Amino acid sequence: MSELSSNLIRRDPRAEWIARNRLHPLHDSIMAASGAEVRGPSGLIRKNPHIVGFIGPNGIKRIDRANTTSGIGNKKRSSVIQEVVLPLHQVVNPEGYIFVVPDMVGGRLTTHDKDVLGLAHKLIKEQSDTQNMAVVAVCFGESKETQFELAGVDRLIHLSGSQFDGFTPEARLTALQQINNQYQPKHWLFPDSINGGTDLASRLAARLGERAAAQAWQVSAIQTVCRGASGSVDIVRETPKILMLLEECGDAIDETRHEVLPLSVDDMGLLEKIDTRLIDKGLMAVDPNEVPLAEAEFILSAGNGIHNWDQFHECAKELGATEGASRVAVDDGFMPRARQVGASGTWVTARVYLAVGISGAIQHMQGIGQCEKIVAINTDAGCDMIKRADLAIVEDSEEVLAELIRLVKQHNLFKEQEEKDDAA
Amino acid sequence: MLPNGEHSVKVVSLVSIGRHPQSGRSRRAEQDGRAVELGLKLAGDNLTVVHAGDSQEPVLRQYAGMGLNALTVLSQEADGDALPLMYDFLSQSDANVLLMGIRAESGESSGMLPYLLAEKLGWPLLSRVADIVHINQREAEVLLALPRGQRRSVTVSLPFVATIDNAAIEARQTAFGPGLRAKINLIENQKITDDTATAWQISPAKPRPKRMKVVKAKNAADRFKAATAKPAGGGGKIMKNETPAEKAQAIFDLLLEEKVIR
Amino acid sequence: MILDWLLPTLIAVLLVLAGIGAVRRANLWRAGQAEKVDVIAGLMAMPKRYLHDLHHVVERDKYMSRTHVATGGGFVLAMALVVLVHLFGIESKILAWMLLGALTMMFCGALFVFKRRINPPSRLSKGPWMRLPKNLLVFSITFFVLTLPAAGVLPESFTLGAMGNWILTIVLSVLVLLSLSEMLFGMTWGGPMKHAFAGALHLAFHRRPERFGGGRSTGLKAVELASDSNSMTFGKIHGVAKPSDFKWNQLLGFDACVQCGRCEAVCPAFAAGQPLNPKKLIQDMVVGFAGGTDEKYAGSPYPNKEVGKAKGGVDQIITEGLISSETLWSCTTCRACVEECPMMIEHVDAIVDMRRFLTLEKGETPNKGAQVLENIIATDNPNGHSPASRTHWAADQNLKVMKDVKQVDVLFWVSDGAFDMRSQRILRSFVKLLKAANVDVAILGDEELDSGDVARRLGDDATFQSLAKRNLAVLSQYQFNKIVTTDPHAFHCLKNEYGGFGSDALKGVDVLHHTTFLNQLIKEGRLELDAFASNGGKVTYHDPCYLGRYNGEYEAPRELLASLGIKIAEMERSGYRSRCCGGGGGAPITDIPGERRIADMRMEDVTSTGADMVAVGCQQCTAMLEGVVEPRPVIRDIAEILAGQIREPKEGERV
Repeated sequence: MSELSSNLIRRDPRAEWIARNRLHPLHDSIMAASGAEVRGPSGLIRKNPHIVGFIGPNGIKRIDRANTTSGIGNKKRSSVIQEVVLPLHQVVNPEGYIFVVPDMVGGRLTTHDKDVLGLAHKLIKEQSDTQNMAVVAVCFGESKETQFELAGVDRLIHLSGSQFDGFTPEARLTALQQINNQYQPKHWLFPDSINGGTDLASRLAARLGERAAAQAWQVSAIQTVCRGASGSVDIVRETPKILMLLEECGDAIDETRHEVLPLSVDDMGLLEKIDTRLIDKGLMAVDPNEVPLAEAEFILSAGNGIHNWDQFHECAKELGATEGASRVAVDDGFMPRARQVGASGTWVTARVYLAVGISGAIQHMQGIGQCEKIVAINTDAGCDMIKRADLAIVEDSEEVLAELIRLVKQHNLFKEQEEKDDAA
Repeated sequence: MLPNGEHSVKVVSLVSIGRHPQSGRSRRAEQDGRAVELGLKLAGDNLTVVHAGDSQEPVLRQYAGMGLNALTVLSQEADGDALPLMYDFLSQSDANVLLMGIRAESGESSGMLPYLLAEKLGWPLLSRVADIVHINQREAEVLLALPRGQRRSVTVSLPFVATIDNAAIEARQTAFGPGLRAKINLIENQKITDDTATAWQISPAKPRPKRMKVVKAKNAADRFKAATAKPAGGGGKIMKNETPAEKAQAIFDLLLEEKVIR
Repeated sequence: MILDWLLPTLIAVLLVLAGIGAVRRANLWRAGQAEKVDVIAGLMAMPKRYLHDLHHVVERDKYMSRTHVATGGGFVLAMALVVLVHLFGIESKILAWMLLGALTMMFCGALFVFKRRINPPSRLSKGPWMRLPKNLLVFSITFFVLTLPAAGVLPESFTLGAMGNWILTIVLSVLVLLSLSEMLFGMTWGGPMKHAFAGALHLAFHRRPERFGGGRSTGLKAVELASDSNSMTFGKIHGVAKPSDFKWNQLLGFDACVQCGRCEAVCPAFAAGQPLNPKKLIQDMVVGFAGGTDEKYAGSPYPNKEVGKAKGGVDQIITEGLISSETLWSCTTCRACVEECPMMIEHVDAIVDMRRFLTLEKGETPNKGAQVLENIIATDNPNGHSPASRTHWAADQNLKVMKDVKQVDVLFWVSDGAFDMRSQRILRSFVKLLKAANVDVAILGDEELDSGDVARRLGDDATFQSLAKRNLAVLSQYQFNKIVTTDPHAFHCLKNEYGGFGSDALKGVDVLHHTTFLNQLIKEGRLELDAFASNGGKVTYHDPCYLGRYNGEYEAPRELLASLGIKIAEMERSGYRSRCCGGGGGAPITDIPGERRIADMRMEDVTSTGADMVAVGCQQCTAMLEGVVEPRPVIRDIAEILAGQIREPKEGERV
């Protein structure tokens, strides 16, 4: 309790009185010192309407309720809020388990994983027989995750050993089978993802002879809605034991802390039998330009306004972006035809489309219609690409790209340093 | 590439009826087409292409138009279960590589068929194969497709099952003439219905609501902000008079925020 | 005298040799596929076809037409008389004088041929063609001298002494042999004079007899598709793989080529440096069915390709050694070569025939071709858009749909421009004009499918026929008097290529391009337009190939522009000589690299008129020309220009 006490609000009646009295000689200095935070009689924060806002360009006082141009005072407040400690969700002697096998891309929980963990808790709440169940995360290999407790992990099985490193589906499957025998979980939840979740779930379902539900997106304790026929139909069915869940299938845990108690797995000796039929030879370096344009998630696209092509290619390399081009750049022979974006080239679906020196012919705009974020760099402020862009830069491309390359290099250097520290 | 100088591995590609994402019409399935293409690369004329379903389906001619001499069809009703048919066929054949798409474009598309077949046959399985770079009588060197264009190299012993990723070599153009001339070998089967699936309700897909930025507001100002603020990004920010460095920084911040650079 | 018997013998021997050659040559043509031809009617019509239709084309070059009449006419007449006078020895002064006259005419013509060959333009083939004028001169001079005695100009007993006689006899014999070899032997054994022999027969047995007498025949002939249920056609190869897969009269047509290179001069792909030269293509076809190599070819090569490497035989696959498939895919099917060919050879038919083999049998449509065809098959439009979004452009247009009204005066065929945002502007403008003229109009809506133009030009006749049949089935459910479309490609398909599918959906229906229809409306006074204020800028007009050359509509767009008070600054290449924009025949899809882009060249044609606006009547041309990098003149469809000038009813005029 002692650490909580420091968060208790202590009232200073005199200061409050001075704060209320605008005519008091110490009023201004008290207000400045308290960082504009005034507590009312009930302890609630009160705003002083007279010092809120600022004088606008035309001399009229403006109040910015949305805090879009938040100043220093705002930041101070957020630093206080940061230390809120969430209530702990405890499960004592659970009567059942729901197992979640997160992807753990890069050793950390993905947002997809967190959604699945959130769904696991939702399923427990809906159980009719008992709600005293625990959510267990099964993690393989090296883990860098430090926030299991905030993601809703009641119990954790962490299997790290050389037999689980890299591409080891058979060893992981054997472990899951072993866990299944030992704990007889109510459900197995997997993210339906290309990061391994789907593969492992399918293997487990085939091994256990369970009819799994794939591409499930609306799951309750009783019934499951999953997509079928390449996403064109919804299939409503009983909720099976093994589920492969789409992104946003549930809401991630954000109001409770969880215990993250370790759970043991018996008879790990079984795992010593390593399947020698699959041998992992490791990752291969791949050029982002090998990625098909239609599937690339980040495209750096060049148009007529590019004059320094070496710089453009360097920029794409540094950013790890897939290169695209406008029709003109292709026709002029600077880029291969396969790189052409637009109605007459490739229709792209990138999350970020960075168009450099492309004015935006209508056919081109049609081809990038499905991109989420468009960033444009162009000298012509009136061109269609600038009008369409979420972020538009009116500038000569060469200078901006040079700056961008510098920033990315700096960023990568910093990251390398961080990774070295991590490893140490 | 092929050490024995000839196509000595026996490859089977399983194909299904695809569904065009825009028109919903039957077509050559994207991944299955690639499975046939990879099969042709590995085995040439030694490739067997198998479909479980209706032998009169015109889409089969599109697969055949990739230059197949013949196509094997295990006859089956639309609501049938392909697994036992495929298993019987494969266990009687001398195939040692089985290629297929990851998920069918029609039906349940759970993607379980390759796993169930591999489990029943006792073969190892590789999912999301981008390429088979080398193969001989004993083993194959396989490239797996990982997210963001990454590749993993794996060696696998024969026989094995592989599901083919969209990153694999694109299916060649289908030609009308050869497609028409290919022979269709029909294998009649007893009807085996998929009883579990008949209990399901199937309806056209409802659009999934996109998750809003969830704001658990603690005070009025935050709630106000969450309710009135433009959706993230907001669109249409134009930078004109800033220095190039500031402009580059703005782009860089957006790229970081969108997690395209990490 | 020796000449007395030597001359008839020489003539007789060479005539016999020519006869043998003719039979041999005819046998080469007969390696082609059977095609029904009315032999008698064809032969009867041949002189008229030569004098009228062929000469009409040659006449575009006055110098050449006169030269050819003198030379060719002189030769034919002279040769006939030579046979009478010198072979049969008919002693008639009148005949001899006529022969002298014919030879003089031929001599004059040959002089001009000779003159042109002194410094020939690059489009002309060299090689054996360079010696032809000399042999023509030799023939006319030699026989002139030989005929002089018969005409009584020289005494029969004219002598130069024994020695002189011998020399004269030898010289004349050599000259006779030389010239007759060229003129008779060469005619049927593959010399330059072959064009006269094969050309005459080609005119008689032309595959498109409708073209003669001012007619027009531009629709491609359908492929007979094999079917698995019909054992007669099962196993049949589609398209042309080997020279023997052409129809016999197509092979004959190839042989008729005079290598004048007019096709080469107008070919947009050749000018753009793409590996296509229509003249070389036809010569390669001759190499194909006659066997051998192209070593003897003496004209311009395919750009950036070496001559002498091509080998072919009548039963060898054409694209394996004779010509590269790139050559076939470079063609925009603009028909400029066909329009320009004095021998009326059908280049485009041949190219599409060979493309059909590549697409239907080999599955080798280059670049985006495969994807486009797959899209058309799966979605009925080349870009794979959802078929249900075909009418999205018209959401705010309040247009009637045929499904609801069943019967209408004018059916507006929207075409695939419905999916393209630029083309939608044209569509909306046209709808605005239709509404202003109170036209009873409806669209097919989602029932409309791609016309099949792209599929057919890319060689996929199976898909074209499927689309055509389904479109016709839809059309046959409804009643309408006219079909109007803004897309000349769809227009061409509907008008010229939808016949022969056993449907009378289009029977008695006027198929019109929107410019034609709008012109009718204006003439009927149903559409009132304000004059166009060009602010001093010039306007030019680009003839779309599929409207102009394919369908002969050159006037309506010009009349429309004139009705707005626009004086067209014509491009040098306009009307039937209009240069393609590069967008036809699936060329932007197959995208064969060249040294320049066809659209850029066309835009240069536009800018050289000083125009700041170019009017077009085709969405494809609009897209191609707008693809040229700015600054360039603006591009407007005629419908867009007109829609901007609709006269708003004034306050007082409102009813």
